[in-house]
Amino acid sequence: MTLPAYLLPSPDGVPWLTLLMLSPLAGLLLVGLGSWLRLDERTLRLGATAWTGVPIALAAVVWSRFDPGATAAGQGVVQLVERVPWITAIRVDYFLGVDGLSLPLVLLTVVMAPVAAIASWGVVERPRAHYALLLLLEAAMLGYFLALDFFFFFIFWEFSLVPAYFLIQGWGRDDRRAAALKFFVYTMAGSIGLLLLFQVIYLAMRQAGLPTFNLIDLGRLGRSLPVEGVEGSLREILFAYMERLGVAGALGRYPLLYTSIAFWAIFVAFGIKLAVWPFHTWLPDAYAEAPTAASILLSAVMSKMGAYGMLRIMLPLVPDASQYFAPVLGALALAGIVAGAFGALANIGGDIKRLIAYTSINHMGYVMLAIAAAAAAPGGATIDSRAIAVNGAVMQMVAHGLSTGALFFLAGCLHARTGSWLLADYGGLRVAAPAFAGVMGTALFANLGLPGLAGFVGEFFIFRGAWATMPLFTALALIGLVITALALLLMFQQLFLGPLREGLSRVPDLRPAELGTMLPVLGLLLLLGVYPAPVMNLANATATQLVAIFQNLLT
Amino acid sequence: MEVFLANAWLIPALPLLACALITFTPLRRSNAASGWTAIGLLALATLLALGLLGATARGLALRDGQLTTLERGHGAHGEAGFTFPEPNLVQRVDWAPAGERVLAMGLYVDTPVATMLAMVTVASLCIHIFSLGYMAANPRQSRFFSFIALFTAAMLLMTMADNLLLFFMAWEVMGLCSYLLIGFLYQRPQAYRAAVKAFIVTRIGDVLMLLGLVYLWTLTGSLALGTGEGEIFNPALLARLGDEHGPLGLTHATGIALLLFCGTIGKSAQFPLHVWLPDAMEGPTPVSALIHAATMVAAGVFLVARTFPIFEADGGVALGVVTFIGAFTALFAATVALAQFDIKRILAYSTLSQLGFMVAALGIGGWVAGLFHLLTHAFFKALLFLGAGSIIHAMEATPAIARLHHADEYAAQQTAQDIRNMGGLRTRLPWTFWTYTLGYLALAGVFPLAGFWSKDEILADAFKGGHAVVFVVLALAAFLTAFYMTRQWRLVFFGAFRGEHPVVFINPEKPPPAHHDHATGHGASPHATADDAHWHESPLLVAPLVVLASFAVTGGLFNLPFSGPGGHWLSDLWGQEAATFSPLVAAISLLVALGGIAAGWVLYGRAFHTAGETDPLEQRAPGLFRLLYQQYRVDALYAASFGRLVALLALAWAWIDRHVLDGVVRGVGRLTLFLGRLNFIIDDTLLNDGPDALASGTVASGRRTRRLQTGRAQDYLGYLFGGVVVMALVYLYLIRP
Repeated sequence: MTLPAYLLPSPDGVPWLTLLMLSPLAGLLLVGLGSWLRLDERTLRLGATAWTGVPIALAAVVWSRFDPGATAAGQGVVQLVERVPWITAIRVDYFLGVDGLSLPLVLLTVVMAPVAAIASWGVVERPRAHYALLLLLEAAMLGYFLALDFFFFFIFWEFSLVPAYFLIQGWGRDDRRAAALKFFVYTMAGSIGLLLLFQVIYLAMRQAGLPTFNLIDLGRLGRSLPVEGVEGSLREILFAYMERLGVAGALGRYPLLYTSIAFWAIFVAFGIKLAVWPFHTWLPDAYAEAPTAASILLSAVMSKMGAYGMLRIMLPLVPDASQYFAPVLGALALAGIVAGAFGALANIGGDIKRLIAYTSINHMGYVMLAIAAAAAAPGGATIDSRAIAVNGAVMQMVAHGLSTGALFFLAGCLHARTGSWLLADYGGLRVAAPAFAGVMGTALFANLGLPGLAGFVGEFFIFRGAWATMPLFTALALIGLVITALALLLMFQQLFLGPLREGLSRVPDLRPAELGTMLPVLGLLLLLGVYPAPVMNLANATATQLVAIFQNLLT
Repeated sequence: MEVFLANAWLIPALPLLACALITFTPLRRSNAASGWTAIGLLALATLLALGLLGATARGLALRDGQLTTLERGHGAHGEAGFTFPEPNLVQRVDWAPAGERVLAMGLYVDTPVATMLAMVTVASLCIHIFSLGYMAANPRQSRFFSFIALFTAAMLLMTMADNLLLFFMAWEVMGLCSYLLIGFLYQRPQAYRAAVKAFIVTRIGDVLMLLGLVYLWTLTGSLALGTGEGEIFNPALLARLGDEHGPLGLTHATGIALLLFCGTIGKSAQFPLHVWLPDAMEGPTPVSALIHAATMVAAGVFLVARTFPIFEADGGVALGVVTFIGAFTALFAATVALAQFDIKRILAYSTLSQLGFMVAALGIGGWVAGLFHLLTHAFFKALLFLGAGSIIHAMEATPAIARLHHADEYAAQQTAQDIRNMGGLRTRLPWTFWTYTLGYLALAGVFPLAGFWSKDEILADAFKGGHAVVFVVLALAAFLTAFYMTRQWRLVFFGAFRGEHPVVFINPEKPPPAHHDHATGHGASPHATADDAHWHESPLLVAPLVVLASFAVTGGLFNLPFSGPGGHWLSDLWGQEAATFSPLVAAISLLVALGGIAAGWVLYGRAFHTAGETDPLEQRAPGLFRLLYQQYRVDALYAASFGRLVALLALAWAWIDRHVLDGVVRGVGRLTLFLGRLNFIIDDTLLNDGPDALASGTVASGRRTRRLQTGRAQDYLGYLFGGVVVMALVYLYLIRP
């Protein structure tokens, strides 16, 4: 089939994205083969960890073939596109592609997978199943970021819950069952609205003459950009369908009403995943009860699925409602920022994983703030401000993924040494483990947004972008910057400073394998903090095109 | 000369390289090697910085790789408002995309920058050398050098930053180094608490400053220094900032300037965020000298100086606030310094007070005076701190304190820092005495030392500008400065040595055993005569003192009325109008200084024959003295208000999470389960099996639910897919419009 200008197939004809998505599954088969051959666990561990390098290599190829500056027909060009008709009856295509919003997250996913794999070296119970689930999770998340047809997008969205659920349930801590169930049911329940919405959109599109689940086309229609084979915007199409059904007669003839309903269906689904306040209470339980590897992947990658969904679906499909409700989103983001910061502070002396989990809520609050600000009504804000907000959100997601992943990894290492998750059981470890303190300190400062490390760039750009449209929320969000720093520094103090606690003198310092895992992550944080262009260039063109519509008053 | 301009980037890069080498190579295993690496690379950077100053002083500039000569402007601070001299060097590279623009980063050197670079490198080099001797006993000396090398790199980078974002990034890295170095002795609770306090208190200022940057960038489209199109000192832009109103009814310029100034309040420890600096004295003394006296704390003043056109753009509102905060801090801190006994704490409050002078000077428009005082203060305050370090070093070796050292290291150090326990060190530490005396006289503002000229210039600006209140407040602060420094100097160097029976510091973290305390307090007396053998001054400690002392003496010469062809060499170099020298103000300023010295000399002439005596001021006004000694109880006030508020909020948010939000989630979950059960009972028992089968139906329901929850992955997966597919099919094919 011929592709429009905004879709660009792989230049060399190789289906790189399919290969990338399938590569963890191939690893899964190898794990299965390995257990059939009765390989010992050590070989299996090393093999599975080494295999996570394959997606990295493939992602690097994808990156090298991606042109970040390409725009066409009012949007960033979606590249390395693979599109094959799949279920013709409901017009489902096998449709993969990357653009500036998904590629940074794809890269983040492949980078964090080996960290998670190494973090599970200590797993003694059913290690084969553990590795199989990790690889499955990686595949599902990659699929989610690559799929551009809602049918597959949603399948990957739901499917990624399954390995995560079993990782928590099978290898987690004492309260794992409750936490896993809460996590699973909460996310599932939240996405029902999304699922129903897309059935309605499909039917409305069928009435308009182009039945499709194609997210790119729907996003273009949402932003009133031309799509071949159909007239009008998504808002008009939905409204026309509502009139046809007679719903409009009963509920009211306001097009915004129907896009608003659509907006809330989308927002609740993704908001829960992003742990936007007040939908965040599953997160501390899930992160805290999960085994280390799952904590790493959940916090580093999975929470970004929510933000990605908002950027991919919410903003383009229902820009008018997004703009209308942007102040609400901003307020929720602010609540999350403050709640996360103080929630972290409340865990000083308590559970280290809960503390890190709460800082994640805080950081995802900034991402939410950026998305809200990018969509907010024009108050003299320039398009640059909005693009900066989205760039900042992407950068923040990458930086937070790296730094929080590193913190969970190191928390896991601490637990492996002492058997305690309680901060109150630690003290003065820097004497016994100076390198550990240095590495954890670096991860922590990256997390709290120290300039020179990547977290700062994301936060600064978010604040810059958000100030243009939401100065009050932005100013109040500063509380989060101070309180999170306080919580993290007190955590560091509790762990490492002061006189060495009795019984900890034999705690070994960072092992070479652990150092080897952390150094690339910290190196990336430093590199992106000093020179963020590699990530931000990826996002900038797509982001600028995406937010252009919000320069107009849409409601 | 071109080589200095073209290679200016090496100035921050060399200390950074030193930091990297010391941290990541085997150099870290050797204290001496790491120290000399840091010193060697910094010495190279110092040469480059001095060369750069020479090149810029000649007016050389690099434009697109071509060497040109700049015309030096005069009297720029007239009707047209403040302007910077033409930059000698601007190098920029693209850093990050920002929508349709690109944010560039780079270096910007003009004559004030070159002067700052020379000051920072020289002061830092002296302190590096001093540290080599001072920290020799510490096994983590290499780590110390890697931190201060990183700090120096950040300070230099900040000075040279071509835009405020890079400025802020380097500024924050300095904050990190400050945190690391205050908490360098991390096993001491006091040290790490002071470190966290310093980081958080300055961060409060920093995040507000960040907001100021964001605000500015939103309006200008860039953060680059310069007057060109799209740069932040563009005259048309500044006029717009001063005219248009933003949030809270302030003009944009006022809002931005005040937010930026919050950064200064945090970093330069101005009231009300001053509380971190006295506690920061927990860091090793070279750190106090470098970071908490000479360079980092002065960065806040430099920030105002660097963004001065924005402060000026609103017609005086922002500068009024600046003046008020500066003058208030100058006096406030000077009063606290009167009643302190810790030698470093006195100097810390003195630093606060002097920073207040600089801030106030900028506030009344004395740009040159403020920056000039920054430069001279850096040298003589670093000198005083290093002198204090030398004294403490010697005091720790005295028998009474050395004995205490075995029981409680921290208490021993605090006891060694108490000026009541000193006395008569003039003969015991002659080099320290003479250099310290020069630093003291410079700080007190005695003719013809550095501090006299720079402080006089500030007072002259206040006088000339008609700021009567500011003039009086600063003159009073100057009087108190001379007084408390005389008190300290007199108690430390004159009279008899009182250290045989020291006032022992009671460590609240670690109460000393009663018997031991008694032994250290009094048991030492019979052997006190033998103590002179312990006094020594190492050359590594003395050499930097001498260098810094020479600057403390000569620093003022740079801006004398007759120091250059046009007079006022520095003003001329910086392209500013020379301050008018007023003999009247100079006389007042000298009288004030001498008055303070005389009062101090007389009052403390016969005080403290033994360490345990009451301070003469305390005898006269015990209540006031206690209040001053407790630093106006600001810390206690903050702990009782903000500290409690934060703790309370943390509890409140945790409670909301656990009981309200999670309660709703659990409630919904229970409701769903209940509805499900109800539905099942109705469906399965009432409609299928009939009332008779009710009992067995209940049992069956349990069995069936159990079967659903097999806990096997495939099953759940199956349900999941089943659900998705069924829903899709139902909606697509059954519910047809």
